Amino acid sequence: MVIGKKGQIELTFNWMYVLIAGTVILLFFVGIVVKQKAASEQRLSIDVLRVMDSIFVGSGVSEKTKNFIDISGLADYTLYFDCGNGVGHYGLKGTTADSENAVDPIFAPGEIQGTQLIVWSLPYKLPFKVIDFLFVSSSNSIYYLFSDDTDFANEFSNVTQGFNVKYTINSKYNEIDPGKSFQVRLIDNGGLVVKKNGQVPLKLKGMDDDKVSAVVFTGTNQVDYYQKEGALWRKLNFNPVQIISLGGERDAAKYGAVFAANDKDYQCNMKKAFVRLKYLNEVYSGADIALGKVSGKLGEMVEYYDTHKELELTRPDCIGNVKKYDPNLVALMQTHQLRVSACLLQQSSCADLINSAQDIKKVNTALGVDCITLY
Amino acid sequence: MIYFGKKGQLHMTETIAVMFIFFVLIMFAMIFYYKYQQVAFKEKQEELLGARAMDKTLKALFLPELLCTKGEAESEDNCFDLMKLRHANETFTKYLTNYYFSVFSYARISVLQLYPEQKEFLLYDKPKPDAVSGEKTYFVVILKDEIVGNSLPQYNFGYVMVEVYS
Repeated sequence: MVIGKKGQIELTFNWMYVLIAGTVILLFFVGIVVKQKAASEQRLSIDVLRVMDSIFVGSGVSEKTKNFIDISGLADYTLYFDCGNGVGHYGLKGTTADSENAVDPIFAPGEIQGTQLIVWSLPYKLPFKVIDFLFVSSSNSIYYLFSDDTDFANEFSNVTQGFNVKYTINSKYNEIDPGKSFQVRLIDNGGLVVKKNGQVPLKLKGMDDDKVSAVVFTGTNQVDYYQKEGALWRKLNFNPVQIISLGGERDAAKYGAVFAANDKDYQCNMKKAFVRLKYLNEVYSGADIALGKVSGKLGEMVEYYDTHKELELTRPDCIGNVKKYDPNLVALMQTHQLRVSACLLQQSSCADLINSAQDIKKVNTALGVDCITLY
Repeated sequence: MIYFGKKGQLHMTETIAVMFIFFVLIMFAMIFYYKYQQVAFKEKQEELLGARAMDKTLKALFLPELLCTKGEAESEDNCFDLMKLRHANETFTKYLTNYYFSVFSYARISVLQLYPEQKEFLLYDKPKPDAVSGEKTYFVVILKDEIVGNSLPQYNFGYVMVEVYS
């Protein structure tokens, strides 16, 4: 068999040509696949954030309803929640997509991984409705409630139906078994179970430190946060965290403390509520209420009773409660607004808001008999 | 005996032709893909705008700055308190950049009272400088006015219009 020189060159050239062209084409498709993979992951994280935003908007406005969202498609991903300097962040861990939220208080564990997301909202009132608090958890986040106060225990068990909550007596502290839960939160209402440097329950010792935490309610309006560190509890907050609320059933601020990851997240989300309270106070009583100059809804009320002098005879309590009596709404709203400003500057002064809110509530209830109410 | 001569040249031309057709096909595929992406992107934008319009409308409807309240009882649904509504715009404008923009973004929110008399209350307006389109959403609301009613509040009727810009 004789092959000419031209044939030899052509044959070699053909093989080299096929090899190079093949490699180029292969690289081209590999490049497309890699780019598409990265793009689809990015798209997924953005879509997840967008959907989460919509879910949070919907859940936020549907007061007191719980939403159970199937997230089995994201079972391999970890959702994170964080709040610092009055700005909340959430997103998919390990991706660049991150949603910032400086408005809505979202109380959630630091991380969630599971197949079902649970979202619940409660209105926060001080004394009028300020904002809706959003509580986020998952079906595999387990909450153990220790409480001597059976009223709170019953209320908590009733209102958190759907969440993975177990009411346990104090003596069974060491018997709690988290099973295959992603994370565990102990709620100690009374401060008799979880102690600083105390032992964590036996079956929780094997879990990762960041997956075991405790929230301890001490006194009427105080809460402490603990995190597992080895076999012991480490207290996270130096000073007790104050719960700024008027109490009662379905106390949004107290439930916020239960679902918040730690003291920092709790106070950060509460700050969002206080910022909104400042703006709401202005709608109710005007931008210069801190200076004693009333406008807004309260301004209209004052003007109405000033122009309808006959009401001073038939309904003297109306104008009295609005601006004449001690205390009256104008003075109380001024105090309330000054306290909000102080609270935004220094967190330790936020507790003063409770008294002014209680006073406003009392006067507003008195107005409710026969007069125009503030809220 | 295998002889490579003109046949080899013919093969080369054939290969080049095949390559040419191959790249032409690739080019067609790319143009098609690009056009498809353009349409899909536009559709996605419209879908997002619609979703954003719904979100903003929901937020507007449940704003504590506007909602009718009854003391400690539940807020009244689909009801705006005119005594608050008349002043909300001042607060929204004052804190637009550092707060309410985070709530409503680029949008225009107004309440139009239809009964007993026609009135418009502009609550929030932040137009997008390079907006190409907008999506309007309407929702019927009751407007409660306690100042005009004789001991009982007067309930007016209107609708809230939320326009989001894209």
